[in-house]
Amino acid sequence: MWLIRINMADRSYTVEKAPAAFETLGGRGVTSTIVHDEVPPLSHPLGPSNKLVFSPGLLTGTAAPSSARISAGAKSPLTGGIKESNAGTAWAQHLANLGIKALVVEGQPEEKGAYWMAHLTWDDQEERPSIEFLPADDYLGQSLFDVFPKLYERFGERVTIAGVGVSGEYGYANSGIVYNDNNQRPNRYSGRGGMGAVMASKGLKFIVADPSGAPRREVADRELFNQGRRKMREALQEHAITQPKGGLNMYGTAVLINILNEAGGLPTRNFSSGRFEGAAKIAGEAIFEGIKDRAGEEVFNHGCSPGCIIQCSNTWLRPDGTEHVSCIEYESDWALGANCGIDSLDDIAEMVRLCNAYGFDTIETGTTIGVAMEAGVIPFGDGQGAINLVEEMGKGTPLGRILGGGTEFTGRAYGVTRVPTVKGQSMPAYEPRAVKGIGITYATSTMGADHTAGYTIGPEILAVGGDEDPLDPEGKAALSRAFQATTAFIDSIGHCLFIAFAILDIESGYEGMVEECNGLLGTDWTTDDVVPMGTEVLKKERAFNEAAGIGPAQDRVPEFMTREPLPPHNQVFDVPDEALDSVYGEL
Amino acid sequence: MAEITVDVWLYGALARYGGPDASKSFANLAVSVPEGTTLRGLLEQISLPTSERGITFIDGQLSAMPGLQPDLDHTLQDGMRIGMFDRKSMWPFQYRHGASMVPELAQALDERGLHHTYE
Ligand code: SF4
Repeated sequence: MWLIRINMADRSYTVEKAPAAFETLGGRGVTSTIVHDEVPPLSHPLGPSNKLVFSPGLLTGTAAPSSARISAGAKSPLTGGIKESNAGTAWAQHLANLGIKALVVEGQPEEKGAYWMAHLTWDDQEERPSIEFLPADDYLGQSLFDVFPKLYERFGERVTIAGVGVSGEYGYANSGIVYNDNNQRPNRYSGRGGMGAVMASKGLKFIVADPSGAPRREVADRELFNQGRRKMREALQEHAITQPKGGLNMYGTAVLINILNEAGGLPTRNFSSGRFEGAAKIAGEAIFEGIKDRAGEEVFNHGCSPGCIIQCSNTWLRPDGTEHVSCIEYESDWALGANCGIDSLDDIAEMVRLCNAYGFDTIETGTTIGVAMEAGVIPFGDGQGAINLVEEMGKGTPLGRILGGGTEFTGRAYGVTRVPTVKGQSMPAYEPRAVKGIGITYATSTMGADHTAGYTIGPEILAVGGDEDPLDPEGKAALSRAFQATTAFIDSIGHCLFIAFAILDIESGYEGMVEECNGLLGTDWTTDDVVPMGTEVLKKERAFNEAAGIGPAQDRVPEFMTREPLPPHNQVFDVPDEALDSVYGEL
Repeated sequence: MAEITVDVWLYGALARYGGPDASKSFANLAVSVPEGTTLRGLLEQISLPTSERGITFIDGQLSAMPGLQPDLDHTLQDGMRIGMFDRKSMWPFQYRHGASMVPELAQALDERGLHHTYE
């Protein structure tokens, strides 16, 4: 496969064969390796030395179900450490179809404020991908909902797009990279960590991909590959959560709102309570019934990308039945809802739409507004006020620029002490004082507080924690380490992390995952290899962070969580520092 | 015998056991039961077959998972909050690792190892 390097200083590029060492790496494994090997850890995230790396997962572009995933990696302007931000989109498949292992964006133009697009196509004669650079000045300062249709009109219906919104142009630490969904909408995001600002800092506004004419991907052992993907498919179709009309397909990821609320672990009003009285009104069950009411029929969720058989993405409707936004994920729903004391799905939907229009990470946006509410900028529960704040961010007003800097930055600007961040990145929708296992992952993840960092396979399958009591802190640390390694593996092969639900319970699904990889690559991995392979990725990420000045001292939750008991359980986060240190101490 | 009142939340498909005033996606009822009533007794009173419930919470503590219901004999106290979900709901392991459980469930999970199923 190909390794493409784009130098934005002069809009030149090279296409070379990807090194042999990358043959069995994909996604996060590739992005973190290149960032680790090539980006000076002390470089400025928005300066010329940082590199933005895209890599599709190993299985991406094949017929493996739910595998259209892209990893975007760089040094993060939000955390100052290494970042991998993952998304599901057809753009990932197009990159893989073009035979691209990694697309590395380097350098920076001399001209300030000038932007280009890269048009990525297959060159029949040279039998390799080629790129044409085009000026993108016509597309600046606009909503992505206005820009995407223009791009599709210009480049044709078949293309896929990666790009940045105004948030990137402003250089906000809260700016994602946007990708098209299955309906050409700018709705899929590598949201976390400010990757949009990194891309924009290179003067690169869009990468338009068109794989027409590219040859079909080689599969080393098609029989084994097919057997693997059959097992995976069967596991996904059998499992109550991932099957058609199952939990995810019906209620979406926001099914977790009521669950976490009952558990007393739904962070509410800027992490001041674990329970939100309005939770049931914004939960996945309410989304399903709300859409049914407005559509006049039951509507099951759709896939974010081709080839997904789980299909967890919803489309919220306005009262008149027309589309409002796709999609209200659990994290967005919580961040812009419960965390801000807002119980109106229409207000939440509007904020998600604005985040998609301007290019914000919904999680970071919601936690930032929560901190602004704590500071008294607007009161908790003020839906219209919150919508206005997102608008200010999009317009780049002075207040908007403070908010665009993210949760921690806003906390500093207003002197707030209850700021729910780790390594500069805000926590997602699980309260560490109520769910302590995830607190360990938040604290120690290489990514800053990250809920996807600890996605995992059941610990009994991993055969870890067997000798350790998982409820004591040491046992939790061992599990957290294994979770993070497994996640790094899944992020590298390109399956959506939601396959974890099925392979948690169905062992043949787990085997299927490994067989898919072996069939595709001709390797002989076993299920026992998953954790060690993920661990290799974590080691590189960890090394980069340490060289960037982010060491074990930063593997901590914010102080307020160790002091303020959280209702309703009235617990503090009391996992001892030694247990947190042991997560990576024993890597 | 003295009566106690419990705060019952029914989610998703279970909302239909919440009476005529319930919304379609959830129901919240104050149910009066005789002192000493167990969860089993409460379910009988609101005519909810236990096989239809999945994840269950008693006062914010996980008490049942789909296919694992060691909480039927749990005695209710005045003011308790009971949250019950239909079987499509879920709570992935990594997001509940370290969350509190009622002792009956902790013991049942311990006996089965950490593995749980949704069926
Ligand atoms: S399960 Fe959801 S997030 Fe994952 S690939 Fe499918 S639609 Fe996308």
